[in-house]
Amino acid sequence: MAISLRNLSVDYSLPIGTAHALRDVSLDIQKGEMLGLVGESGSGKSTVAFALMGLLANNARVTSGTATIEGRRFDLTRPNATAPLRGRGMAMIFQDPMLSLNPVFTIGTQLIEVLRRRSPASDRKTRMAQAEDALAKVKLGNPKQRMEQYPHELSGGMRQRVVIAMALLSEPALLIADEPTTALDVTVEAQIMREIIGLRDRIGCAVLLITHSLGLVTEHCDRIAVLYAGERLESGSVRDVQRQPGHPYTRMLFDCEVPIDRERHADAAQNRFTVIAGELPDPRRRPPGCIFNGRCDVSFEDCAKVVPGDYPVAGNAAHAARCLRLVTP
Amino acid sequence: MTRWQRTAAFIATRFASVMLTIVGATLLLFLMVRLVPGDFASVMLGPRATPDLRAQIVHDMGLDRSLAEQLWLFVSHAATGNFGEDVVSHRPILDLVLEVIPNTLALAFSALALALVVGIPIGVIAALKPGSWLDSGLALLSISFITTPTLVVSVVLFLVFAIGLHWLPVAGAGNPGDIVDRLQHLVLPSVALALGWVGYISRLVRAALLDTLAELHVRTLRAYGVSEYRIVGLFALKLALVPVVSILGIGLGDLIGSSVVVEIIFARPGIGSLIFNSIAQRNYPVVQACVVFIVAFYILANLVVDMINALLDPRIAAGRG
Repeated sequence: MAISLRNLSVDYSLPIGTAHALRDVSLDIQKGEMLGLVGESGSGKSTVAFALMGLLANNARVTSGTATIEGRRFDLTRPNATAPLRGRGMAMIFQDPMLSLNPVFTIGTQLIEVLRRRSPASDRKTRMAQAEDALAKVKLGNPKQRMEQYPHELSGGMRQRVVIAMALLSEPALLIADEPTTALDVTVEAQIMREIIGLRDRIGCAVLLITHSLGLVTEHCDRIAVLYAGERLESGSVRDVQRQPGHPYTRMLFDCEVPIDRERHADAAQNRFTVIAGELPDPRRRPPGCIFNGRCDVSFEDCAKVVPGDYPVAGNAAHAARCLRLVTP
Repeated sequence: MTRWQRTAAFIATRFASVMLTIVGATLLLFLMVRLVPGDFASVMLGPRATPDLRAQIVHDMGLDRSLAEQLWLFVSHAATGNFGEDVVSHRPILDLVLEVIPNTLALAFSALALALVVGIPIGVIAALKPGSWLDSGLALLSISFITTPTLVVSVVLFLVFAIGLHWLPVAGAGNPGDIVDRLQHLVLPSVALALGWVGYISRLVRAALLDTLAELHVRTLRAYGVSEYRIVGLFALKLALVPVVSILGIGLGDLIGSSVVVEIIFARPGIGSLIFNSIAQRNYPVVQACVVFIVAFYILANLVVDMINALLDPRIAAGRG
């Protein structure tokens, strides 16, 4: 069953005023599909994840938004709206595996705690067996011994596998992976992504992959959504978006990727990265018109006045972008 | 090395350092006791002191020997458990100390147990809803417990429950052998001694819990639907108890110190009242023996504290804590 998020808006009250972190963000993820949510730091990617989980910081407020998960509708403006789904319908993998496990409890205890919630009726022995099985499935060697170990006895990659095992045990309909490989070694990244994909294929859940790495998205995701300053500027299948970005921002993001065959200067300091000039707009005051107007290389008069809607790209209804150029002949 | 071997090595290292500390503290105390003005002979004999009597007592106590000689005699005898004979009662000093130590230990440990049993839940409840009226109320309560001196608490409890209401016995430690009587005699002194620590422990537990609850592993448990009660009362509490237990080790010194006051007010025989009387008499040998025992107790208690922490937090035993 498809997961859908509609019109999510989140505000943070800060000492300097109210920051609008997300404005009317909508996402759809099909069962068994992986959606890559990309954007630069501060674009609100993680806020989407925590708003869905109901684990936003105390100074955050959801001003609008509904989620449909497993056929049930949740009004996200109500505090703890999705609490019944935590550990049952939704699971999450976090950015920093070094800090996401309790240091004074064994791996086994923490895995079993997930099962206490997922299957309250089963006994300890069954849960132990299930937890060991889950560790084996995420390719953590010697699962029996691992159960008795503490997090500090494991490497970052191994700890991330433990969290993936937790997700596996909770059998979610929606798995949220919030930058799951950012804190890890590049060599471990591919393995961890493989385990996440393995988990999705085993359970058939929908996966929301939050990342700033376009490489990860193009390699592993089915669909992509591009977030900029709290607004979703483009969404579509990875293939369509890669082939023909509908929004200048998406195109510029792809241009920032360093191609592996690019010519290099002998002097490394002479190598230049492509960057997007300018900065994110002030989150407290949305500029009129298009949110990307200040940094866009193809903007015209109307961009400063008219707020663009979601327009289909190349007549494809499944590929949309918020750019006036799409409807300006 | 396995985890158990590491833990054993950790304990062995700690034990060696404990022994060194006891020796060092004994030397220091030996010198400090000599700094108290007045001497035993004049206090004991009063204005009737004749030079002959004084010389006799000074000789009996070994005070006519050189300081280095006295120190050597004290340390070498103490090492074999011989603290000499008390000049006042003509009984071995070791017997005097061993006779009263169980009373003090019973008092200190019942007070500590009481402080933990009451203080930890108060801290946990306060941390469940920080900033709520309940939290503020418990803060006020805890701080008033901390700021009320043991002396005042003792006198009030004594006047209300022993003298006024006749609910509990007035003085002493109870008949030896009669458990119920001894427990009844223990109630008021241990409550008096524990009250300040209830306040301390609840504040410490609350602060440590709130720190722990802000850590990312708590978010993981929340994301997997673990109930807030299990998170606070089990998963965060175990981690939060590590700093609390460390401070308890230091606090045991304060507990023994305050027991002097409590033992005097409730006329309980104990090491506190023994020290108090011996200092009043300038009875150095008894004071020295008592202090050696207190230092040893304090250091052993801290060793136990370190071992409890190594059990609570496996990273401490692994040397990464």
